[in-house]
Amino acid sequence: MEPFEQVEILLVEDNPLDAELTVRALKKGGLANRLLWLKDGEQALDYLFRRGAYAERDDVPPRLVLLDLKMPRVDGIEVLKTIKQDERTRRIPVVIMTSSQEERDVAQSYDMGANSYVVKPVDFGAFADLARQAGFYWLAINRSPTG
Amino acid sequence: MLRRIASSIRYKIVMVVLATTTAALLVAGTAMVIYDLRTYQQSRETDLSTQAEILARASAPALAFNDPKSAHEYLALLKVRPEIAAAAIYNASGKVFAAYQRAGEPSGNLPALPEFEGARVAGNTIAFYKRIIGNNEILGTVYLRGDYRLLGRLTDYLGILGAVLALSLGVALLILAWLQTTITKPILGISQLAREVMEKRDFSLRARKTTQDEIGYLVDAINDMLAEVGRRQEALEASNVSLGREMTERARVEEQLRQLNVELEQRVDARTAQLEAANQELESFSYSVSHDLRAPVRAIIGFSRMLAEEHDLQLDAEAQRLLGIVQSEAHRMGALIDDLLAFSRLGRQAMQITDIDMTQLARSSYESLAQHQPGNNVDFRLGALPRARGDRTLIGQVWLNLLSNALKFSATREKPCIEVSGISDEAEHVYFVRDNGVGFDPRYQSKLYGVFQRLHDSSEFPGTGVGLALVQRIVTRHGGRVWADSKLNEGATFYFTLPKSA
Repeated sequence: MEPFEQVEILLVEDNPLDAELTVRALKKGGLANRLLWLKDGEQALDYLFRRGAYAERDDVPPRLVLLDLKMPRVDGIEVLKTIKQDERTRRIPVVIMTSSQEERDVAQSYDMGANSYVVKPVDFGAFADLARQAGFYWLAINRSPTG
Repeated sequence: MLRRIASSIRYKIVMVVLATTTAALLVAGTAMVIYDLRTYQQSRETDLSTQAEILARASAPALAFNDPKSAHEYLALLKVRPEIAAAAIYNASGKVFAAYQRAGEPSGNLPALPEFEGARVAGNTIAFYKRIIGNNEILGTVYLRGDYRLLGRLTDYLGILGAVLALSLGVALLILAWLQTTITKPILGISQLAREVMEKRDFSLRARKTTQDEIGYLVDAINDMLAEVGRRQEALEASNVSLGREMTERARVEEQLRQLNVELEQRVDARTAQLEAANQELESFSYSVSHDLRAPVRAIIGFSRMLAEEHDLQLDAEAQRLLGIVQSEAHRMGALIDDLLAFSRLGRQAMQITDIDMTQLARSSYESLAQHQPGNNVDFRLGALPRARGDRTLIGQVWLNLLSNALKFSATREKPCIEVSGISDEAEHVYFVRDNGVGFDPRYQSKLYGVFQRLHDSSEFPGTGVGLALVQRIVTRHGGRVWADSKLNEGATFYFTLPKSA
């Protein structure tokens, strides 16, 4: 995928295996055409705020951010907080996708303004369904804010 | 003076003595005086009477023979009796025949006519008339007059009485002086002592015993009383002191107790903090388990599936079988992790006790299970269950596990039947889930509740073996019990109780 094409889905996930599974699942649903995968929170923020390596990209926000929580250096909650507190990025739908079922994480994510919280199941079949459904919902059914 | 007498024993006693003495003397004196005077009177009368008699007889012949000279001589003999003041003999016609006067006596002081026989008292003289009788005819009358000093005697006596009274007064004063030492002084001593004791509140003072009589006894009694009071007071003071000591001791002990309590509280707080820290550790442990363990398992499952799906042409039957094993075991591992997590989370959470409609909870648990296993013609019978108090989520878990087991183990039957019911007694509610499935060997009952323990082959009936362990843990936490009944191939009944007061 071209780095400067319009990104529909921004996948922020540090585990490459999980990332591959997610991409495959989304591919199956035809949702992975314009997907960008970034490996950590810092890169994600750089991208969203058009800094560093991404300073030159078009000023068009992604339509959906799939965010993992547990990442080294800048973790998911940090990224979420930063996205939701900045006027420029506040409206981007952010779906937390994580292995953690801990109530604590769910609560905190919603407190920080997550639009949705999804738990990655162990079973791949279920995982694939889930990713597809979520992607479909947020891209096709849900009405994104303009701009 | 009366007041003075009333306030002093001494004067009272003196008065008593005086009064008694005076009364006694007066009574005695009066009696004696009266007696004496009467005797005097009688003796004078008798005397005159006798004298008159003698004179009468002596002068009878003189009268009879009309011999006044002899009569005169006889009368003159009266000279020897100085107490006779005058005498006279009257003849029968009442004329003076002969007379006699004591020396110094005023003359002519004779009655004109004789009177009747007997004595006559007049002032300080007593007169006596006696008839002279001779030859049975009255010849004349004798007249005697003597001194009669009744009044004088009386006054004499009164004088004596007065003198005696005065004397007795003196004696009474002497007695008083004597009383001082023997009676009033000791008594005064006692009352003085009493005043001193009362004023100084000093119970060590004692009265001095000077006599052996009742007063001495009183002194002894008072001294004993003082000694007793002194002892009591000492005992009281001693007990006061020991009480005071006890109070300080008690205060000290109370302070110690308070200190200990504070320490205890501190220790409890420290222990609680420790426990909370341990809990925290456990939480983060299971958190990392839930997160970090799952990821590789997900990868194994996912990639082996991809392998199977996308490279099935390059895999022969055996390779596919092997891959299948890898997948199913990975699935099992995932289920184990999930169950383990659920099991550990159970211990960490605090229970929220509420009132639970057990019938509704059992029904909804069954329905959520039935959703995932459609197409089964299970005969599900749900009786009216007594309401219970407990944590809704956890009890829901119990129902889920028991019903899931019932469904699982009766799924092989043609007509699976599951019955749920419950009753209450005084102390607890009892619920059961009965199925007509394959049952289990009752000999291995104790192994039912071990974590990951299974009495059935996993190829026949899938499961990790944590379900019942979870049920037991939850029910035990609520204060209830779990047990089961079964016969191989004749189904199983699982019972659990919940106490009425949770």
